[in-house]
Amino acid sequence: MIEVITTDGGRTDGAPPTATQGDAPRARARRSWAWLGLVPFLSFLLLFLLVPAVSVFLDALRADDGSFSFSAMKEAITGQNFEAFKFSVTFSAGAALVGVVIGTLLAYAAATATRPRWLRSLVSSFSGVAANMGGLPLAFAFLTLLGRQGVLTKVLDAAGWDLYGGGFSLGEVPGLITVYSYFNIPLMVLITLPAIDGLRVSWREACANLGGTTFTYWRRIGLPVLAPSLMGGFLLLFANSFSAYATAAVLTQNSKIVPLRIGFFLGGDVSIGTDAVGFSLAAWMIIIMAVSMSLYWLARRRAERWRS
Amino acid sequence: MMVPEINDPEIGGPNTAPVGLAPLSAGRPRSKWGRVVPNVILVATSMFFLAPLFTLARYSLQNTPTILLGASTLLKRWSLKPLTLAFHEDFFWSSLKLSLQLAAGTVALTLFLLLPTAIWVHLRVPKARALVEFLTVLPYMIPAIALVAGIIIVKPHARWFLNSDFALIPFYLVLALPFTYRSIDAGLRAIDLRTLVDASRGLGAGWFETIVKVLVPNLRTAIISASFLTAAVVLGEYTIASTLLKRTLPIFQREFVSKSSQGGYALNLLALLTTTALFGLISVLTKRRDPKRKSFARMVAAATPTTTATGS
Amino acid sequence: MTTLDYISVRKTFGALVALEGLDLDVREGELITLLGPSGCGKTTALRIAAGFEFADSGAVLVGGADITRTPAHKRNMGMVFQSYSLFPNLTVANNVEFGLRTRGVDKATRYARVRQMLDLVELTPFADRYAHQLSGGQQQRVALARALAIQPQVLLLDEPLSALDAKVRTSLRDEIRRIQTELGITTLFVTHDQEEALAISDRICVMSQGRVEQLGTPTEVYRHPTTAFVARFVGSMNQFSGHVAEGGSVDVIGRHVEIPKARAFGNGTPVHVLVRPEDLSLDAAGYPGTVTSITFQGATTLVGVRLDVADNLVSIDVGQGEADALTIGDRVSVGVNGANAVCEAA
Repeated sequence: MIEVITTDGGRTDGAPPTATQGDAPRARARRSWAWLGLVPFLSFLLLFLLVPAVSVFLDALRADDGSFSFSAMKEAITGQNFEAFKFSVTFSAGAALVGVVIGTLLAYAAATATRPRWLRSLVSSFSGVAANMGGLPLAFAFLTLLGRQGVLTKVLDAAGWDLYGGGFSLGEVPGLITVYSYFNIPLMVLITLPAIDGLRVSWREACANLGGTTFTYWRRIGLPVLAPSLMGGFLLLFANSFSAYATAAVLTQNSKIVPLRIGFFLGGDVSIGTDAVGFSLAAWMIIIMAVSMSLYWLARRRAERWRS
Repeated sequence: MMVPEINDPEIGGPNTAPVGLAPLSAGRPRSKWGRVVPNVILVATSMFFLAPLFTLARYSLQNTPTILLGASTLLKRWSLKPLTLAFHEDFFWSSLKLSLQLAAGTVALTLFLLLPTAIWVHLRVPKARALVEFLTVLPYMIPAIALVAGIIIVKPHARWFLNSDFALIPFYLVLALPFTYRSIDAGLRAIDLRTLVDASRGLGAGWFETIVKVLVPNLRTAIISASFLTAAVVLGEYTIASTLLKRTLPIFQREFVSKSSQGGYALNLLALLTTTALFGLISVLTKRRDPKRKSFARMVAAATPTTTATGS
Repeated sequence: MTTLDYISVRKTFGALVALEGLDLDVREGELITLLGPSGCGKTTALRIAAGFEFADSGAVLVGGADITRTPAHKRNMGMVFQSYSLFPNLTVANNVEFGLRTRGVDKATRYARVRQMLDLVELTPFADRYAHQLSGGQQQRVALARALAIQPQVLLLDEPLSALDAKVRTSLRDEIRRIQTELGITTLFVTHDQEEALAISDRICVMSQGRVEQLGTPTEVYRHPTTAFVARFVGSMNQFSGHVAEGGSVDVIGRHVEIPKARAFGNGTPVHVLVRPEDLSLDAAGYPGTVTSITFQGATTLVGVRLDVADNLVSIDVGQGEADALTIGDRVSVGVNGANAVCEAA
């Protein structure tokens, strides 16, 4: 057996140089052809995602006479429509905030639990399931809990707190926030657990070693490092809450939130405005979602940087 | 018991030691406050998450109006009958059939489209990865209600297509895309794709044979996860189906409540349990199969889900 | 007087005894290395000094003052962790000044001290970088600067080089030693790498299973290991079987070898004899055997020989000249110099 001794661990083994510069035109061409393999996927997305999305914008930017105009887009954020956006943004932000705070605390509790050992695993698995619950069953479940005839409503009533008399309703901000928290909190747990794992013990110890207390640690290291994740979580939960339709549709019959408003418009409700206005609502929704998700993605990137 | 040095998170594996607590020590009593707050949170949130499920079950299966609920009536008049009320409806069976067909169709189309694409990206066009990953996140930016608005606009031009119930399939694929693509992608990254393909093709197998006989068995977990996820999405999707006036199971779920309160709620309870079972199964499967313990929860986190199962 | 004393320090984790009554006096300005395999208790001992663990019993004194129950953040120790201990959201300069800030030192002094520290570790241009922009070696140098910035009484290093590449490891360990001597700071260094320990320590404390096996200078520990564990752990050893014979010698596979340390054993006791590769030689009057491997190590060559008599595989350090003449399969004779050999009951 002949042993080949390489001085660089065999990394450069005399193979043809990685084909980047000075390529044979044929190799380059072969790589360009490879992109064709993505055609089925790309055309699928084009047809079933991009075409509808673009159509929304096209119709939103159309004036009555068919020419290009921003007027519908403007009208979509004035008057009643503006109130709807305001309402949607408000409760989405509120739901996101609740989700972030409780979700982070829950993730922290789970991440730092030593007894019992299976606790973290349980919270993690449960969150994976609960984050995807929603829609009709969730809404109905909450109706049985906090609806007018809900169990908790009756219990609170017996204890002296007239929930509905005080203006509460599952379709209003506090109610929506409560229901949406059911999937927002687990979602936050899912994305925060890894972030909390990323808080190395050695940072905590180094901080103590250098004279810092627990408060010092969280103020100067812990929270700053978690901040991008928390911010990202907020954005994700916001987008999630803003766009939810089915759950809201069961909880309330009004058109106070944007998705429901769009739903009514699509169902033939003309009180929203002209067609263009209706689609402008959808267009604005897409814009808000796109901005939120892009910011979320940026925050994620930032958080990853410190994790490596 | 593990030796302290090996237990030291700096040396051992992932950081599993408690983070924010006072130094671990048997010699010093841990501050009581340290555990009180987390425990309270855990208990409170557990109650929050279990309560609606219990009340849903109670409402569906106990024939007692809420007003009359009390210590004495709590355990009376329970019955499983409401679960079966839906079965008497023709619409239930037709919508169930349709939803199952849609689920099967979407799963099939998903695997048929995404598996080759993901493999192709990994093998032949690695530079496209960033683009494809971005594209798979796109559906988050275009929520179901906005998507269906766009479909309505396009409808006059594609009436022949959109009239069919099965037209829902491609849109459901789009809705589930972030999840399913990530799942398959993660599966591909966990196996040594290049080597398997080279070995298989080197031994004379064609592309189709390679995918079916070599890759699919190795991607079982990812494929099953993606399939279950898709199924859950399809079985729960309400927004698009209702707007396009298709008669799927969730539509029936909602309508039936008006017809028979307990029956409707019971059906929703069933749906909830089914979804939970599906996701629970995925969780179990991914934990056991994958030696790298890329748990389902982590995968879900990576796919940054926007609750596709809300049908939103 | 910044001495560090462990007095009968005992520590258990549940059923596991990590430290069995550790007694250790670290003199002022001295660098003592705690050396041993994983699980020997060295890290536990260090962490007890730092305050991250508390001893079950016994005392820890710094400069004579009892700090056994003092919380970690109130002690005045500088610690360098194995890896990833720099605060990721702070610049290098902010990391280094961290301990000064918690102590309320004013801005001007902090600034001056940070500069001084960065100069000491030769990283001045990196003041505004972040941890993830630095290499592993640079990160550890910053960690060192950060630990020293607070002018601690004692410097604690927890395997600071383990996570680094070999080349960086040697240069950084020399740098640590240089700085330590320059500042004259009492230092406790933990490692499992005996080469490191031998290179930089004033004294080495070899530990195993919570106990001190030997405490001595590098030379003492290497040349005169008092226990078989130390003999095996520090440097490499060849092992022979034999029986103790009269007057400080051992009957090793048929031949008499003079081994002073054998006197501690009774006549006829079966023993393992541990001999270093450099105490073996290619001696015409030795045990016959066949060369099975030749490993070039740079300065010396390690020759593996399978002895005829007892199927032992021994390693012999051989100088360059001798090594050139050998090939695998050659017949040679192995001579044993038992002056430093260690015996252990078989």
